[in-house]
Amino acid sequence: MQTDTKILAQEFEYLAPKTLDEALDLLDKYKNKNIRILAGGTDLLVKMKTTDLKVDYLMNIKDISELNFIDIRQGLIIGAVTPLSHIIRKEKVRVKYTALYEGIKAMAAPSIRNMGTIAGNICNASPAADTVPPLIVYRTELKLQSKRGERNVLLEDFITGVGKTIIEPDELITQINIPKINKNTSSVFLKKSRVKADLSKINLAVYLEREGNVCKDCKIVFGSVAIKALRAEKTEGFLKGQIINSELINKAAKQVSSEIKPIDDIRSTAEYRIAMSKEMLKDGLELAWARAKD
Amino acid sequence: MVLLEKEQFDVIGKRYDIKNIGKVTGEEIYSCDVNIPRQLFAVVLRSPYSHAEIKKIDYTEAEKMGAICIGPDDVPDTLYNERIVSIPDKTYRDRTVLPKDKVRHVGEAIAACAAETEEEAFAALKKIKVEWGKKWKPLVTLDDTMDPNAPAVYDQVYLGEEKVEVKNNLACDRNITVGNVEEGFKEADIIVDETFNIKRIYHMQLETKSAVCKPEADGGITLWTTTQGIHNVRILLGHIFDIPLSKINVKRITLGGSFGSSIQMNSITPICVALALKARRPVKLVTSREGDMYDHSSYPLKTRLKVGVKKDGTLTAAHCQVWVEIGGHNIQAYPYLGCVAGWFASLYKWKNIKYEGKAFYSNKGPSCARRGYGSPQINFPVENTMDILSEKLGIDPVHFRLQNYVGRGDEFWGQGPTVRSIIRSCGVEEMLVKGAELISWDKRGKPDEKSGVIRKGIGVARGFHTSGTGGPHPGEVIDYSGATVKINEDGSADVITALMDHGCGTWDAGAKVVAEVLKIPFEKISIDNGVDTRTTVFDVNTHATRGVYCGCGAIKFVAEKVKEILLNYAATLFEDRPENLDLALNKELGQGVVYPKGLPENYKTIGEIAEYAHTTSWGTIAYTSTLRQKNCPPCFITYFTEVEVDTRTGEITVPRVVMLGDSGTIINPELWKGQILGAYALGLGVGKLESIPYDKVTGKLKCNGFITDFKVPTTIDMPDIDNIIVEHAHTYEPTGPFGAKGIGEAALSAVASSFGNAVYNAVGIRFHELPITSEIMLKALKEKRNRRKN
Amino acid sequence: MNYKVEKIPIEFSINGQERRVSVKPNDLLINVIRDDLYLTGTKYGCGIGECGACTVFLGKETVLSCLTLAASVDGKEITTIEGLAKGSKLHPMQIAFLKNAAVQCGFCTPGMILTAIALLKENLNPSEEEIKDYMRGNLCRCTGYVQIVKAIKTCAEGGKSESI
Repeated sequence: MQTDTKILAQEFEYLAPKTLDEALDLLDKYKNKNIRILAGGTDLLVKMKTTDLKVDYLMNIKDISELNFIDIRQGLIIGAVTPLSHIIRKEKVRVKYTALYEGIKAMAAPSIRNMGTIAGNICNASPAADTVPPLIVYRTELKLQSKRGERNVLLEDFITGVGKTIIEPDELITQINIPKINKNTSSVFLKKSRVKADLSKINLAVYLEREGNVCKDCKIVFGSVAIKALRAEKTEGFLKGQIINSELINKAAKQVSSEIKPIDDIRSTAEYRIAMSKEMLKDGLELAWARAKD
Repeated sequence: MVLLEKEQFDVIGKRYDIKNIGKVTGEEIYSCDVNIPRQLFAVVLRSPYSHAEIKKIDYTEAEKMGAICIGPDDVPDTLYNERIVSIPDKTYRDRTVLPKDKVRHVGEAIAACAAETEEEAFAALKKIKVEWGKKWKPLVTLDDTMDPNAPAVYDQVYLGEEKVEVKNNLACDRNITVGNVEEGFKEADIIVDETFNIKRIYHMQLETKSAVCKPEADGGITLWTTTQGIHNVRILLGHIFDIPLSKINVKRITLGGSFGSSIQMNSITPICVALALKARRPVKLVTSREGDMYDHSSYPLKTRLKVGVKKDGTLTAAHCQVWVEIGGHNIQAYPYLGCVAGWFASLYKWKNIKYEGKAFYSNKGPSCARRGYGSPQINFPVENTMDILSEKLGIDPVHFRLQNYVGRGDEFWGQGPTVRSIIRSCGVEEMLVKGAELISWDKRGKPDEKSGVIRKGIGVARGFHTSGTGGPHPGEVIDYSGATVKINEDGSADVITALMDHGCGTWDAGAKVVAEVLKIPFEKISIDNGVDTRTTVFDVNTHATRGVYCGCGAIKFVAEKVKEILLNYAATLFEDRPENLDLALNKELGQGVVYPKGLPENYKTIGEIAEYAHTTSWGTIAYTSTLRQKNCPPCFITYFTEVEVDTRTGEITVPRVVMLGDSGTIINPELWKGQILGAYALGLGVGKLESIPYDKVTGKLKCNGFITDFKVPTTIDMPDIDNIIVEHAHTYEPTGPFGAKGIGEAALSAVASSFGNAVYNAVGIRFHELPITSEIMLKALKEKRNRRKN
Repeated sequence: MNYKVEKIPIEFSINGQERRVSVKPNDLLINVIRDDLYLTGTKYGCGIGECGACTVFLGKETVLSCLTLAASVDGKEITTIEGLAKGSKLHPMQIAFLKNAAVQCGFCTPGMILTAIALLKENLNPSEEEIKDYMRGNLCRCTGYVQIVKAIKTCAEGGKSESI
């Protein structure tokens, strides 16, 4: 299939609603007519240029101001089309939701982060998405709206496979709701890639809640090791309620690789990903544990 | 040795404002920026198959959409080689503008369309129907191509005017013997015999190959295209399309990087011309990045190097066997094999040499020169072998190199075995000694002394390149340049030359050379675009690191003739003989002045002399000529690279590096440094990141031409500014303009080698293949630990 | 050639000048800038957002014009490399690039300069590490980046970056 990345070589109707209501109306109208939602364009337009993805209606929601906000009053509520670069400017994100901060900072480069949105990263549903593991460890919920109403879905349940989500054709993610974070918690994001501005070979988000020397709660999510981001539940169970020391961390790291199912692909090998999962978990736990003390 | 200190120069070696302001304002025009009224936009149909017979190409549907199309029947039958730097007798020819019988690699251009917009052209392109015939399985690896049962990519090609049968896909071979290696090995106390493999790399020059062609009313054409040499493009197009050269005008235009990928006329250029001639309208063709990655790549190289050495460190023999698969077209494999021999032979005093090189056709995009033209590829085996030998001998690697390098007074091969000269300037010793001190070579330790998760290592490697391809007699390679230098009526000067500047400072050097000879201020000398094949004499190409030594050498020659004319005119004015006059730069006046020897106060400015020549209708003070340099003095490079290997992750970083270059007189120190720094980044890419693998079943690039999966070094991969030391040797090349040699390709030759040697020093593992990715490093570390256990 | 879809009239400001063009929904900003407005300083390097050569300012932030629909900039402000100099007075970043030999073939230069200016807007005095990290999405094959980083550092040390 020959491509020409100099242009966007397909015709479509362009829709640019100014309000959420308008957008939902249009989605309802064209839900069976091959409509796609455009936010940043850094994934969708690339796909339209380089694969056989055909779109008949393209709805640009980037200018809907009611979807562009960051609410830090309770937990963290982020409007769907908030540019990634705006999210990392918030002190609260950097301090309280550090894995999300580090995850976004690890993505591509500033211009892409100015264009890209958090909802876009989620809906693109690449196993390598960098915002997804951090958001999952925070038990993030997505608010989905349509003309029919609205529903809240746990992000962990939202993505079902490579490029697959449970979103209905007439639905739009409008908000990303990240619950309030408890005291004595911390999070870490780690990533391996060929160069720094690159998709991940493997990435990891770790969330720890610490009570004295004991791990009260932990969440461990890997990306790029399965068809979607994967929670290492066994390893989480192994650590929960335990006194954390380096011996335990080493044991956890040793066994985590049995939970992941990476493949060989153009970016890396299964063997490498398995090896890195151990090293990264060790580093992630140690760092998160140290951070939780502060 | 006489050294001309740079204090003696008015201009050479000094900082001047760069003549490329347009590049920071966005006003600089590259081929892809040219816009001609009524132009059509063109796109190229590229083969989805690796090796397949074309039965028929039907573009009637595309034409119905309003597009102008060309297929195999719309282009001449002329069989040519797109690179005509070698003499015709030594040039293999196997291609036409579009393939007439079959395609030989995925991505090969088979037809093209032009329309009012690129979108329309591409839509029309998709309507072109191709009827395919027989298909063969792709030859992707070297072993594939060497299989005696492999399908034949070609049955016959031409070498010069001779028809040549191609047997077992052997494109060409070269064998050279000096002395007797069997005897040499008998004398050796230690013999090392290792095989190394350097893979194909994509140049990833930022500007994709482009052309804009305007058909002229008289049947001729005007052309802007990505090229390193406008005259060769003109000659080829005249030959292919049977148009007299006087009707073809190729404009010189700024080039967005090349690294050798536009020495040859790019494949899209004659396609663009054919479309323009058919449409009778200007046509603009800009290759997509994914098309560009199929268009050209570097030459890979597999090397088996066997070297013998005596206990005292004297080399006795070297047997070098190389194999390379060259893709679907032979652009310059024959000179490549010769050059590889030359780079190998001239690095060290092997004493007895046997070189055997074989090049095979494969079903991949054609390989072409890439910065160094085989030097990086053969430097890696040689410099690794030197380290292996020194370890076995128990001699320090720096001392071992000092003992055996080919240097001043020695014979070296310029770009291959047929041209040999004696080295007159050489800073190798200075650089090895100084570099070792700067990096703290003595403190680097041995691999098995190192421990910890992070292992540091330091490696050394040296390389060189010829400054151009000149020799005592004209040889297999055409190499001459020329210029017109004229003094304008106000005393400023124009330098009119086809010499290309890739951004390395070639034009800066040309202007400085003229400024130094004629004592006209640098700011008053123009050397810029606005020239073309019609207004310039021949320049073969800015390649082979010849921009300064050959290109500016020619400019200096012409400038000196202009000086003679100037002094002759001045002599008439002074009513004296020219040899009784002097020429100097008067800084207060901001002009050059001529004065009678002994009476500097009685000067006349160059401006006055030029104006007088004008008002009296004597004439323009100008001269035009070409020059063939009779030498190609080597410029040298040495790198001391420090690496850090994270043994947990296999990641390798370069925290520190010392870079030393020998270019004789350095005309623009900042840009000279820039050449070396830029080459270092390219070399790191070779060392740890880059390769363009092809799929064995489909014959397609695994990354499909998208740079998402062709990663190149970024800002983060280079060491911090304070940890990079760049030094130059204090040498003077007597045959070069004001003592100058080149640096461009020398700079790349030894980077990956120093990186590989440093990795060995860090972890005790020697990699025979590049790139050393994290995955490969980690796996190798694991295997080493397992070997230790057993 | 029949268009299936209508052209959309859009109005935007480019380098301080108001312009009106009619664009197809699938027209990319990079091509409108280069082919319709003849501002060729913005370059095509890869078309998929990996090289940074097509960087422009959209409002006060940099974006990649090869992945931006022209229709989406209706009512907005664009600044390209051509919009930096005031007459013949170069922007400090442009001067810094020239003075530090940070320009060789020049193809990556417009994208580099604009991204560097964006950096200084966010961070007036970035460390070398911060500069390298910010510029990691702009590819260069000629310079090896070192002199570019130096130019940006020099510009930062020289004072405030002018606002656009």
